[in-house]
Amino acid sequence: MGTPAVEIEELSRVFEPRKKPPVVALDDVSLAIPPGEIHGLLGPNGAGKTTLVKILSTVLLPTSGRARVLGHDVVDETKAVRPLLGIVFGGERGLYWRLTGRQNLAYWGALYKLSARETKARTQQLIERVGLAERADERVETYSRGMKQRLHLARGLVGDATVLFLDEPTTGMDPLAAREFRTLIAELRDEGRTILLATHDMVEAETVCDRVTLIDRGKVVATESPRTLGQVISRFQRIDVEGVDAAVLGEIRALTGVSGVTEADGGARIEVDEEGATRVVLGRLVDAGATSVKTSLPSLEEVYVQLIDDRGLEL
Amino acid sequence: MRAFVAGFGLELRIVRAAPDALIPLVTAPVFALIFLSIVRESGRPDLQADALMAPVLMTLWWIALQNAGNMITGDRWQALLEPLLATPASLASVLLGRIVALTCLGLVSFLEVWAIGELVYGVSIPFEHPVALGLTLLVTALATAGVSVAFAAVFVLTRNAYTFTNSLSYPLYLLGGVLVPVAILPGWIQPVSSVIFMSWSADLLRASLKPSPIDDLWQRLGMVVLLGAISFLIGRALLFHVMQRMRAKGELAAA
Ligand SMILES: Nc1ncnc2c1ncn2[C@@H]1O[C@H](COP(=O)(O)OP(=O)(O)O)[C@@H](O)[C@H]1O
Ligand SMILES: [Mg+2]
Repeated sequence: MGTPAVEIEELSRVFEPRKKPPVVALDDVSLAIPPGEIHGLLGPNGAGKTTLVKILSTVLLPTSGRARVLGHDVVDETKAVRPLLGIVFGGERGLYWRLTGRQNLAYWGALYKLSARETKARTQQLIERVGLAERADERVETYSRGMKQRLHLARGLVGDATVLFLDEPTTGMDPLAAREFRTLIAELRDEGRTILLATHDMVEAETVCDRVTLIDRGKVVATESPRTLGQVISRFQRIDVEGVDAAVLGEIRALTGVSGVTEADGGARIEVDEEGATRVVLGRLVDAGATSVKTSLPSLEEVYVQLIDDRGLEL
Repeated sequence: MRAFVAGFGLELRIVRAAPDALIPLVTAPVFALIFLSIVRESGRPDLQADALMAPVLMTLWWIALQNAGNMITGDRWQALLEPLLATPASLASVLLGRIVALTCLGLVSFLEVWAIGELVYGVSIPFEHPVALGLTLLVTALATAGVSVAFAAVFVLTRNAYTFTNSLSYPLYLLGGVLVPVAILPGWIQPVSSVIFMSWSADLLRASLKPSPIDDLWQRLGMVVLLGAISFLIGRALLFHVMQRMRAKGELAAA
């Protein structure tokens, strides 16, 4: 393997807010992302994802450790790093609301040293690519949340960067737009770009990434293939049920693959920990005449615990 | 240079969408009337043209300073500062472009005071040296923007742009010879004034409205440009330092 697109070595970051105890946002993180990979950074709120993305983007200094983008240090060689990067921070802010989408893009294009003509062409192309063509000449303040997200994405692409950092890019997108977004990510990879995608959405990480690094409280928990992640997710489903009596629940508790049944007013939550158990439980519940059955994914924390258990590690 | 152009274009579009940045243009004619009335009341019609130039300089300064102070904090609050710093563009150049756009628009105040003088008192501006006048206005707009970049950096440090703007402007009008020529101020002030670009601008503006030939026009224009450029370079260094500090502390994003 040649130079990694992103190389992170023992990176730590401690924040020292005024009049508050220090916060360790990143604790000895190491990671290498080869060129052309879509790498997921999955973790709950406060895990340190944004902190890592900011350090890699040159806008935050690490407390210790180092990080390189295509071989260039993000602290000492910002001049070399910045032209290589495209950044999409999540949220609704980060745009000039009183300007139109096209005007926003034109500004950022010029900041990436495109000529006026290039900016114009690139802007038009991106507007179409992210599906904003009809509203491109309206003010951003009239955009929906999802449209602002798409404009953010276009902004991240305006410099034609080879390395893209996306921080929760689908927050606020409707499911359809989120799916289109995932197609776009795959296209970007096919164009040879490297992508680091920070998200707290397990399914998103599983569906679009080539590899996923799980972080929690600033530490790397594991780096997994999306397949492993997907297996854990589907294995540890939960089923919420209403309208079955205690006898049926007792019977279900005894089924193999059922790890727990907790009764709550009028209903119960059933947890499974084996592939295929969900199907059996669902069949039994329907036969018993349940009035409402709902399955849901395990929480990120549960997936973490499970992955760590599987590897015999300790938290 | 691309960064400068990016900033210039951005600010023009912002002003077109919402012209609040240009509010000082509203007060320029008011000041013009006040100053005109004073010199007329005191029986000095020879000072009428000078009285019209003061509001032009004040307007440029006010527009530049007030907006420079808000640009970085405004961008920071809107989560625009981090993405901006992550681009290859120089922050100082973007800022300079943005402020130059505003000071150029601020030159409209010249037309305003001209019109108000004519309309209210029938006083016209004596265009004795129109080329010198035009050049002086232009380099003054540029220098004002250059100095404002330095102040923008200080504003981020002090976090109280408003008080700062207010308390800085009036001494500067005095030292810059905006209202009264520096030559008639106490002697010890004169060396201080000579490093303030506005004193050179103000003297040149007044000279370009008098029939007598202007001494050393190019050197004096050069002085305005030089002082503006030095301030810009100091501002750029200061900004770099301030941004580096914010990068270290994690303060580039507003909570
Ligand atoms: N500028 C900052 N100052 C102080 N604490 C911060 C700052 N930025 C992040 N933190 C803290 O660092 C931790 C990690 O935050 P963050 O990187 O934003 O997590 P994530 O993006 O995974 O939700 C959190 O506890 C957060 O409160
Ligand atoms: Mg985050």
